[in-house]
Amino acid sequence: MSKALPVPAKRHLPSKEATLFKELLTLYETRQLKKGLKTADQILKKFPEHGETICMKGLLLTHMGRREEGIDFVKKGVKLDLTSHIVWHVFGLIQKGEKNYEEALKSYTQALRFDKENLNILRDAAQLQTQLRLFDALVETRHTLLKIRPSLRQHWIALAVAYHLNGNLSEARKTLEHYERTLKNVADYDIEHSETLLYHVRILEEMEDYSEALSLLDVNSKSRAIVDRTAIMECRARLLSKLKSDEAEHAWRALIEHNPDCYDYYRGYFSNQGLSLENSSQEALDILRQFSSQLSKATAPRRLALTIATGDEFRDLAKSYLLSGLTKGIPSLFVDVKSLYTNASKRDVIEELAEAARVEFTPSSDTPPSSAEDTDPTIYLWTLYFLAQHHSYLGRPKKALETITIALEHTPTLPEVHTCKARILKRAGDLLGAAKSVNDARLLDGQDRFLNTKCAKYLLRAGCVEEASNMLGLFTKKDAVSPGADLEDMQSLLYLMEEADAHYRNGKPNLALKKYHAVQKVFNEIEDDQYDFHGYNLRKFTLNIYMKLVKWEDQLRSHPAHVKAALSASRIYIKIHDDPSIATAITSSPQLTGAEKKAKKKAKKAAQKVQEEPKKGPTPSANEDKGLEPVQPKDDDPEGLKLIGVSDPLEQAFKLLQPLTTLVTDNIDVWTVVYDVAIRRKKYLQALQALNHARALNVEHPEVHVRSMHFRQTIDTLPEEPPAPIGPLLKEVAQKVVPEGLSILTFNGQYLQRHISEPLAVLAAAKVAHGLKEPVQEVEQVVFGVLGEGTQLDIPTALKVLEFLTEIKSGRVEEFRSVCNKQFEISTVFKPLTELEALQKRTLSGEEEEKEEDISPA
Amino acid sequence: MMGMQAANLQNLPENYVMKFWIYHAMTWPQISYVAEDHKGRIVGYVLAKIEERNENENEPQPVHGHVNSISVLRSYRRLGLAKKLMILSQQAMKEIYKAEYVSLHVRKSNKAAIGLYRDTLGFEVAKVEKKYYGDGEDALSMRLELKDI
Repeated sequence: MSKALPVPAKRHLPSKEATLFKELLTLYETRQLKKGLKTADQILKKFPEHGETICMKGLLLTHMGRREEGIDFVKKGVKLDLTSHIVWHVFGLIQKGEKNYEEALKSYTQALRFDKENLNILRDAAQLQTQLRLFDALVETRHTLLKIRPSLRQHWIALAVAYHLNGNLSEARKTLEHYERTLKNVADYDIEHSETLLYHVRILEEMEDYSEALSLLDVNSKSRAIVDRTAIMECRARLLSKLKSDEAEHAWRALIEHNPDCYDYYRGYFSNQGLSLENSSQEALDILRQFSSQLSKATAPRRLALTIATGDEFRDLAKSYLLSGLTKGIPSLFVDVKSLYTNASKRDVIEELAEAARVEFTPSSDTPPSSAEDTDPTIYLWTLYFLAQHHSYLGRPKKALETITIALEHTPTLPEVHTCKARILKRAGDLLGAAKSVNDARLLDGQDRFLNTKCAKYLLRAGCVEEASNMLGLFTKKDAVSPGADLEDMQSLLYLMEEADAHYRNGKPNLALKKYHAVQKVFNEIEDDQYDFHGYNLRKFTLNIYMKLVKWEDQLRSHPAHVKAALSASRIYIKIHDDPSIATAITSSPQLTGAEKKAKKKAKKAAQKVQEEPKKGPTPSANEDKGLEPVQPKDDDPEGLKLIGVSDPLEQAFKLLQPLTTLVTDNIDVWTVVYDVAIRRKKYLQALQALNHARALNVEHPEVHVRSMHFRQTIDTLPEEPPAPIGPLLKEVAQKVVPEGLSILTFNGQYLQRHISEPLAVLAAAKVAHGLKEPVQEVEQVVFGVLGEGTQLDIPTALKVLEFLTEIKSGRVEEFRSVCNKQFEISTVFKPLTELEALQKRTLSGEEEEKEEDISPA
Repeated sequence: MMGMQAANLQNLPENYVMKFWIYHAMTWPQISYVAEDHKGRIVGYVLAKIEERNENENEPQPVHGHVNSISVLRSYRRLGLAKKLMILSQQAMKEIYKAEYVSLHVRKSNKAAIGLYRDTLGFEVAKVEKKYYGDGEDALSMRLELKDI
């Protein structure tokens, strides 16, 4: 609805063409693309410079898949009529389709200058503003929409939500109150109204106006305007607790009775009573006993009791809990109770009880098979299974293996026993043996994708990328280019991360980078997914869950997989910056595995097919609406050669790390990697900030110590001091890190002494010494300290030590390797490479034979 | 939702992109449930939707719930999780959406699941849908009247 501005001459159309133009708009709205194109050309014959028509033509062409052409027309049309709201609207639509939200919003804002009250444009603008988190602007837009059409319920809700997002709870509340007053004739049962009221209550709760919230809730629950009983109960309990009301206890109890397995309800109950669920307390225990007997089918109260109980009470409760689990044959029993092991006496009691059970249930050879003890063999099995996990967890791999071997002899047909053995072997460093065991489990139930996935994961851990891919292919879509491509499409983070890590360990950083970037892409997709819901949830009135969605999306990149991918990729970028020969070695002679070659061939074939199709003749349905989103470009870098060969690896790393610095501030690894990148980019202030964050978290942490010393060393050796205020600031912190008068070497020696029995700290001290150019023999001497008496060296740390010795080209690498090989008897990861490869061949060919007998699912 | 998607990918061949999971959560937030371990990781879930009354068909379908996907990690079986998830979902479907019945599809060969639905929860077989699944297997379409629960 344009206002009084006179229509410029170049836009004006005589009545015939004006009618045609109106037709054109309708034809577009109904996606009659071919007809629309014809109509546009009709207008353009007489008025070849009519910007609005040119834009519409461009829009139609884009929908028809002629994207480049279409966008050219749109741009041309915009230039020809800069003050038309239509051209800017069209341009905005194109940019929105490309997910270029910032530019799209600019175009929409332009469009609104020339048509302030266009509902479509305003709505689209609101969605963009929400996506871009521009909440001030959003509030204004929602205000405008409400003013134009106050009769539309959604406009009120949208404004309230906008205020809420913008942190203005009181205006949100006022809007809702005003809105509710305008409502007439609300049906008795109206879900949308119910959700709106729950949202209103939520706002009051956030404003800490608990009694208002409660009365609004109660009034509307009584009148049955709110239909979600669970939400009512949860809300009530929370509010009553906050109001310290006597009724709160009953409210929490009602929730527990409604869903006895929801731990949050117990937490709420106990918190309300002022009791802790972590520390021992007779009162808490009595309450839990009461719940346990009242709610006989629930595990939660009985499990919670184990955390609280102590001494003999604990023993009694643990005994019945354990026996109940073993009798039922619950696979997760050990995983369930292992969190109790932080308490050494509880751990010992459980071991006693489990061993006693084992003795009790061991089938004796002279028991007749049809006696009452028939059920015992199964309990016996589950007891062994429990004990094997127990020993493995406590670092007793030999005992664990002995135990599980007895279990396997007893019952070789239960997949869980095999996966247990696999886990034991994995922890003990025999990754190939572990993969074989999981495969044994898998063969017992070929229809089970869980076992298939586990098997593939273990193969990847063992570095067998191709075998893993074939394994996964048993369950991925048959028409996908490769199993990996299907899993990537379906956003499987597990697969992407495990394969990336495997490539990294196998010395293929280009392929690893490819997968880490694929993980980034998944998160980009998920971030983009929210876009449609900014309007959708308002139409559905599901407001509370919508607010949760927005908050979740804000936190999205703190997800562990995203963090790990960003850090691992950054570490690769740092490596290729420090040693460019790594990258050149790869880019000059790419090597593909068999599976990769296969996938490349398949992809080439598929691409050829796509190219050949248009040659069949004119497309049968020129009216087909391809939408406004660009077609996914073909992957032009399947082996990550471009990624690894990039000229600015540190800048790439910096980009990946950005979101982590705001979202994941309590993670030492994040700060150490940020430091590593920043110091190499000579961004000293950034490096300093990262170091300070890390030191604040744990100044004695080995990784932090290394960077602290590195920092001091770097600052000491700067060719010239950076200008104030940075220079003096750096000096100041450098002095804090190693006090005046002490050399870095001495300080490092002191650190070593303080942490002499902690292998990772010893390694850190060695790294520092190496960085200070101490002779290799001295560094090696320090390193070998990890093998000393009283140090608890584990396999991951030993591998890190080995990696370091290899990096510094130590002559004692093989010596260290063979000591570890002896010390970690079951492991294979310390075997020399040739022996390992032979072992791999033998293991995998063994699996191949078994596979041929395996009937894979259709 | 990330956990539900991950559990689904591990256990079942029928998978969905994240937007599908978000869509369900945003439309019918009250009827899908998850089971978590002590670290808050998802070990089981039920993903449900409501089919609205369809006035246009010759036989108008009453409002009913539909279980799109349900799965519990193999390592967390025998805890009755699937049953508990289903019951909570069904209660919410009935109470909030006034669903008259709930339906689901299950592979004809999946004895364990059929046992859960039919014997434990009271579902009945409504019909057989031939070649329903991507790999060509038949499905049983099952139904539970919610008036009785």
